[in-house]
Amino acid sequence: MSKKLLMGNEAFAQAALEAGVNVVAGYPGTPSSEVIETIAKRHAAGSAEGVHVEWSSNEAIALGLLAGAAYSGARTLFTCKQVGMNVASDPLMSLNYVGVKGGTVIFVADDPGPISSQTEQDTRRYGSFAKIPVFDPATPNQGYEMIQAAYELSERYSTPVIFRPTTRVNHSSAFFEVAEHTKARPLPEEGFVKDPKWVIFPPRAYAGHGEVNERLVAIAHDFDENAFGSFNPSFEGGEGEPRIGVLAGGISAAYAREALRVIEDEAARQGVTVPGYRFLQVGTPYPFPQATVQKFAEGLERIIVLEELDHFLEDQLLALCGRTHGAYDVFGKLTGTTLDRGENSADILTIQLADFLGLQGLGLAQAQNEALAADIALPNRPPVLCPGCPHRGSFYACKQAVGRKRKAEFSGDIGCYTLGNAAPLNAVDTCLCMGAGISMAQGFSVTQPDSKHLAFVGDSTFFASGLPGVVNAYYNQHDVTIVVLDNSTTAMTGAQPHPGTGQTLMGPRSKPVSIEAILRAIGYECITKANPYHLDEAVEAARTAIDFEGPSAVIFKAPCISLVPAGKPVSIDADACTGCKKCLKSIGCPALSFDVKAGVVRVDEGMCTGCGLCTHVCPFEVIEPGVEPPLDVEVR
Amino acid sequence: MKNILITGVGGQGTVLAAKILAQAAQAKGWSVREAETIGMAQRGGFVTSHVRMGDAGEEVYSPLLAKRSADLVIAFEPAEAARALPYLAPGGMLVTASSPIQPVAADPYDPAEVLDVVRQKVPGVIVVDDVALCEKIGSRKALNIGLLATAVAASERMGAGLSGAVSLDETREAIRVCVKPKFVDMNLKAVDIAIA
Repeated sequence: MSKKLLMGNEAFAQAALEAGVNVVAGYPGTPSSEVIETIAKRHAAGSAEGVHVEWSSNEAIALGLLAGAAYSGARTLFTCKQVGMNVASDPLMSLNYVGVKGGTVIFVADDPGPISSQTEQDTRRYGSFAKIPVFDPATPNQGYEMIQAAYELSERYSTPVIFRPTTRVNHSSAFFEVAEHTKARPLPEEGFVKDPKWVIFPPRAYAGHGEVNERLVAIAHDFDENAFGSFNPSFEGGEGEPRIGVLAGGISAAYAREALRVIEDEAARQGVTVPGYRFLQVGTPYPFPQATVQKFAEGLERIIVLEELDHFLEDQLLALCGRTHGAYDVFGKLTGTTLDRGENSADILTIQLADFLGLQGLGLAQAQNEALAADIALPNRPPVLCPGCPHRGSFYACKQAVGRKRKAEFSGDIGCYTLGNAAPLNAVDTCLCMGAGISMAQGFSVTQPDSKHLAFVGDSTFFASGLPGVVNAYYNQHDVTIVVLDNSTTAMTGAQPHPGTGQTLMGPRSKPVSIEAILRAIGYECITKANPYHLDEAVEAARTAIDFEGPSAVIFKAPCISLVPAGKPVSIDADACTGCKKCLKSIGCPALSFDVKAGVVRVDEGMCTGCGLCTHVCPFEVIEPGVEPPLDVEVR
Repeated sequence: MKNILITGVGGQGTVLAAKILAQAAQAKGWSVREAETIGMAQRGGFVTSHVRMGDAGEEVYSPLLAKRSADLVIAFEPAEAARALPYLAPGGMLVTASSPIQPVAADPYDPAEVLDVVRQKVPGVIVVDDVALCEKIGSRKALNIGLLATAVAASERMGAGLSGAVSLDETREAIRVCVKPKFVDMNLKAVDIAIA
């Protein structure tokens, strides 16, 4: 054992390994990806014995795979971000009716803000929707303990268990005593035991629903006491019999404790009395620990509920209040007392709680307003496609191929390439969810027959959820062009491998799945390919596919710059540069900038990868090519 | 309780500096939380590390700093120093590098103008000529250790910032734990040059 600084996600991975997890599967997505990456690293180092870990092609596949493993008695861990739960919801809903044999923890990272997601959905709602118990940690340390408890609970009741941290818990670090070497729990000798209960026919579903309802009552009771009850800690503060309640969940519980400390310190400094209050963190939001909360609410007149995303705890508390004829008022998102969306913070809760405690006089809000400010415009640092990113050439080539005279809708998707929407490329008109670019383009082809319909999709997204849409376009003969941006990785989430790379987390490589071969097998007649750095070739490939009547595809293939060494930078002949800015206004590479004094474009040699796209764009041919980065990714 | 904010642009090495401080505090038995806030950008976006350390019995709840709570802000470039001003506690210490990292895909800014504003708001700001410092150390990559050592030394000298929490010797010890063995000597040398 040694004490190590671990990020929340690393600690959760460690907790699962220490719980003897046998099979781990998921799909990457910020802020969840480090769990599987940690387990994969440990496996590669030989210090996580007996574990199978993989990136599955999407979340539904991962959860289905884990169901099979769990039926055989394996302890399993599923990981995804909140929107991944939407993809996995199909197996999720019925898995709970069927139940599991090996402990099954469903790790779903929610993203209040949102910081890097398309929705602020709340996975606690999936818990109550699917009738699956939920753990909601306030800190990495609490989450570490919860994971181990979750396996116990899962096996005690044959139920999957949801573990739902949020970004600030996933990505904050603390010190942990960790076992250097872990061993997966031996699988039961009998393995998978055949039984009608594993087959979800309607009568089985009816019976399963009853089992679920029964166990939820028992689990709610467990959450009120013993080991699990410690996840719902309570304390009292202030002076006098408490009349005010603070009920908090997740990271908001940590912020609330911080805020209460700030308020008490300031009150003590000013000689002001803090009225008696009672605090409760609900770490097990579903099933709601009713007895614990009822005890907490005894004698209280007003309760404020502090949580991010949905008003989940608030709803549960209101229901309890109604059912038990509680004599207290409930304040939160529904009363406009707290934020209806976005992140909480210690600062925000300090003001809300000072107000709620009637301590506006402490002047804490005013003190926050006295924080220093720069009073000067500071540079934005917006996310942009990296210098040398192959997507830049792909987008530009498609725009050139469509030309100015034709109308076109550019349907985008989820990945780095969503950034193609920024100026000057302006090449992404829509973005909805994983795989929807392909299906949306087909909708446009029905309603906008006079324009061209391009659907951009990355290689990982193609395999994750693009495929059914690709089949549909062919089946229903929609006039769309699927533009595959194949950079040989899942770039946005930190370069995870996928079926098209043939690289697995278990070491041995499989043969890469060929996107082109898939398209041919479906029946696509027009499939073109190009190196996106070579503009003429790329425009020609795009034009051929776009001009084709009926479903077509163009594959742009060049590896993400994070996978290959940079080439040699291009150089600009400053004497010959006319300062026309065509390169800046067309492709917007961050390595190029305008030198106002000299009236010419300069290249940042530290940033330039030598991809050479700009050399093809310059109308005066004053940009000298360097050396392009390699197209082949070396196996790591 | 000591709160430290370390801010810069992706790739500057802010995260390692935060880890070294976290390790130094942990080694003395303090409770520590550390967190990074990172935008969506993989490169060229700003990165802010929050380090919070509580002395015996003082529990750290929130992983992120509140406004006006930083005993020490270390900024790896001027615009990020200015952006971090709301976090600086009254009487807190601000150490910033002087040379800018210009934004990609946005208009460049004037670092002198920004530093003027910072000096006006925080008269005691320590502005480090990072180009000269890195030249003395012999590597641009040692900017993080150079700034960290400067801040710890200034804290000891002035009895502010990290004073009473993390000393230079404790910083050296933490570097030995956090840095790959073959880079330890180089980094310890960087500390000595930075504080010379």
